[in-house]
Amino acid sequence: MTGASKPLSVRGIAKTNQSRTGEPVEALLPIDLEIAAGEFLVIVGPSGCGKSTLLNVLAGFGEPSRGEARVGDMKIAGPDIDRGMVFQSYALFPWLSVIGNVEFGLERKGVPRRERREIALEHLRLVGLQDFADRGINELSGGMKQRVAIARAFAPEPSIIFMDEPFGALDALTRRFLQRQLLRIWQQYRKTVVFVTHSVPEAITLADRIVVMTARPGRIRRTTAVDLPHPRESTSERFREYERDLYAELDEELAKSFAVEARDLID
Amino acid sequence: MLLRTGKLLARALPLATAVVVIVIVWQLVVAIFRPHVSLLPPPVLTAHEFWALFASGELFVHTGTSLARVLSAWTITGAIAIPLGLAMGWSRRVERLVDPFVEIFRPISPLAWIPLAILWFGIGEAGKVFVVCVATLFPTLLSTIAGVKRIDPVLVHAGQVLGCTDQPSLFRKVIFPAALPSIVVGLRISFGTGWAAIIAAELVAARSGLGYLIANGMEILRADKVLVGMAMIGILGVCFDALFRSLHRRFSWGEE
Repeated sequence: MTGASKPLSVRGIAKTNQSRTGEPVEALLPIDLEIAAGEFLVIVGPSGCGKSTLLNVLAGFGEPSRGEARVGDMKIAGPDIDRGMVFQSYALFPWLSVIGNVEFGLERKGVPRRERREIALEHLRLVGLQDFADRGINELSGGMKQRVAIARAFAPEPSIIFMDEPFGALDALTRRFLQRQLLRIWQQYRKTVVFVTHSVPEAITLADRIVVMTARPGRIRRTTAVDLPHPRESTSERFREYERDLYAELDEELAKSFAVEARDLID
Repeated sequence: MLLRTGKLLARALPLATAVVVIVIVWQLVVAIFRPHVSLLPPPVLTAHEFWALFASGELFVHTGTSLARVLSAWTITGAIAIPLGLAMGWSRRVERLVDPFVEIFRPISPLAWIPLAILWFGIGEAGKVFVVCVATLFPTLLSTIAGVKRIDPVLVHAGQVLGCTDQPSLFRKVIFPAALPSIVVGLRISFGTGWAAIIAAELVAARSGLGYLIANGMEILRADKVLVGMAMIGILGVCFDALFRSLHRRFSWGEE
């Protein structure tokens, strides 16, 4: 059941972890979030605020302590090929070639060999790597690896794609380039995307809507729709306004998060 | 092509130098101490015996017998240790269940099993294969376990969101290939320990094999036969190490 984008509905998802001493630690307070089909949602927040925890729960890698999430009308229970993911550390399979990685999900879906290769090549073309199809993964640079990972996530046409700080390990120029490329692919396929980042400019460049999370335990501080046409120029006055606004909120949360860390150290 | 030849030469040269040094020192020892020929024959005499055993085909028979024993035991333990190691590396429960047995048996040298092997199986093939099994099981097993444990969890997650949602497909498509470089290392190490163990087992109880050739040479006071057996062990060791090293390169996907 893949193909069309689907909305994501998060209802009261919360996560409590066990600390090393066995005490419960609130990682995530109940989160409610409605994401429209084809929407590009970006979550920003100080580190340790639980945004990656939330993404992992949504991808099906961990059970929430409370609440539930639905993609379309399917409740999320465990990982599924209908929900793609792009990881910060690329997570490519080094034993497969570039195109082998992109074909992986298609093969699992039972797409016949010839068609598989065609679809994979088409997605490699979108990220400009069609000439590298038969290369080994370890011949690629970090930026190229992440482009393969993006092609791999889009190729099986999931209803939604989660991206966990996908450009966090890349240099600023590569990052800017990949943001634009991702936007182009997203505009072509209109997948629902949930994208986690530390970077405020990245959030404003990409998002239809930005969710700002609080310091730990994480909850939604506020959501902001970014009402700017693509491509967005980071030098424009409107862009700067969004930036000032978001930094102000995040600075406040960061101060809280440092206070939490200091308390943890004293305890 | 030129580059490859050059690389081969660069690797073979130190080896050839070592051989020359060994022969020179050997010849010097013979010249200075003048040992009886039944204790330490000069290199030329040994080479002559090597050629004689080579030409008569006897050397091939012994080598082939030893190799067949190692290969069969190594294959048997591979078939057991690789699946078991995958299971132990993946599941804490299986590991907790099996690990105590590994802990107890692993420190016992495979050579300590030779007497029992003779008691149980006599001096036939089974006893020697058994000893080599003991010698090859643990290196393969431990490397496989380590290989699975070293897998980046994010690779497993990637496999899951790309459709490997059941355990069998996850093992086949992600866990096994991800652990493969480590498994190949284990197979290489266990081939070495197996090769050492078979010689020891054949020294004690056998009518064929390189170990027998050596033991028999000692009994009939023919050190040249002993030395030929030892040389053959060394030559094969170097060959197999080179083979496994290229195999390892093939299965490490340019990561090291």
